[in-house]
Amino acid sequence: MATNSASNLFHVGRSLLRGLSSSSSGMLRSPQETTFNSFLAQQVRTFIQMRTNLKVVDNSGAKRVMCIQALKGKKGARLGDTIVASVKEAQPGGKVKKGQVVCGVVVRAAMPKGCSDGSEVKFDDNSVVLVNKQGEPIGTRVFGPVPHELRKKKHVKILSLAQHMA
Amino acid sequence: MRLEKCWFCSSTVYPGHGIQFVRNDAKIFRFCRSKCHKNFKMKRNPRKVKWTKAYRRLHGKDMTQDATFEFERKRNRPERYDRNLTENTLKAIKTIDKVRSRREETHHKNRMKGKVAKERKEARKEHDQQLHMLIAPGAMVKDTSAAKVTVKVQHESDENRMEE
Repeated sequence: MATNSASNLFHVGRSLLRGLSSSSSGMLRSPQETTFNSFLAQQVRTFIQMRTNLKVVDNSGAKRVMCIQALKGKKGARLGDTIVASVKEAQPGGKVKKGQVVCGVVVRAAMPKGCSDGSEVKFDDNSVVLVNKQGEPIGTRVFGPVPHELRKKKHVKILSLAQHMA
Repeated sequence: MRLEKCWFCSSTVYPGHGIQFVRNDAKIFRFCRSKCHKNFKMKRNPRKVKWTKAYRRLHGKDMTQDATFEFERKRNRPERYDRNLTENTLKAIKTIDKVRSRREETHHKNRMKGKVAKERKEARKEHDQQLHMLIAPGAMVKDTSAAKVTVKVQHESDENRMEE
């Protein structure tokens, strides 16, 4: 979803640029376009904090969730952390309703997470799996890839439900 | 521990280097350094970017098919540790590398085969056609007979006229 919106913005921005720079010389156009390109392609990836919208990737009924509190960490939550969130968008007949306050585990974060061997992993979007206070998932299925880091954080149940592991 | 290949430039990514990007369809892209990563974010096609291995292989600059490439296949079955096996494998890696680089050199040589003759031919053609830009056409000619112009004076005809 993030990439779709980014590509839409990209196309809109490009057409705007064309209209603007049609009068100016051809030489000016290419550096403008490339800067616009790089600006759109390189979003600043940061922590998951208050007011961050996250995608829900299980079948608990919620679609979008907004972070209220990152339970650990001063600057925000990262990959594998738990958050407290408020359900903003939900499917009509699901286990959770809109406006409900739930806990979730971040399973995909756009911010790169450093592994113990020195490499870094990053995902395409910010996604969360809804979880109860004990850490067990509310839903029964998890969609998309999940990282290995969850094993260290003792979210084994989510790993077992996952289709792919990063 | 596993040595991966960079998705963009096909160089080896050693442990502790690079970034791994996981797309939502679970496809993993590994990059050896930020140069490759930034090119990927710019949505560049590695087959069109001149310095990547993909481009070089596609355009015949580097070897594509060789028996030595078969040894470097990706294997998913872990081998039980055997000291002899490890030792033999390390020795084999060295010899295979040597063989492969030798073959790549011959491939390069074959590719550059007619280059010197071609350059000479082009230089000669340029010389013949463009030399007038440097030296005037008549200046180079060293013809001593042409310098001295002999004029034969006709005395007889004058005498004849005088007599008449």
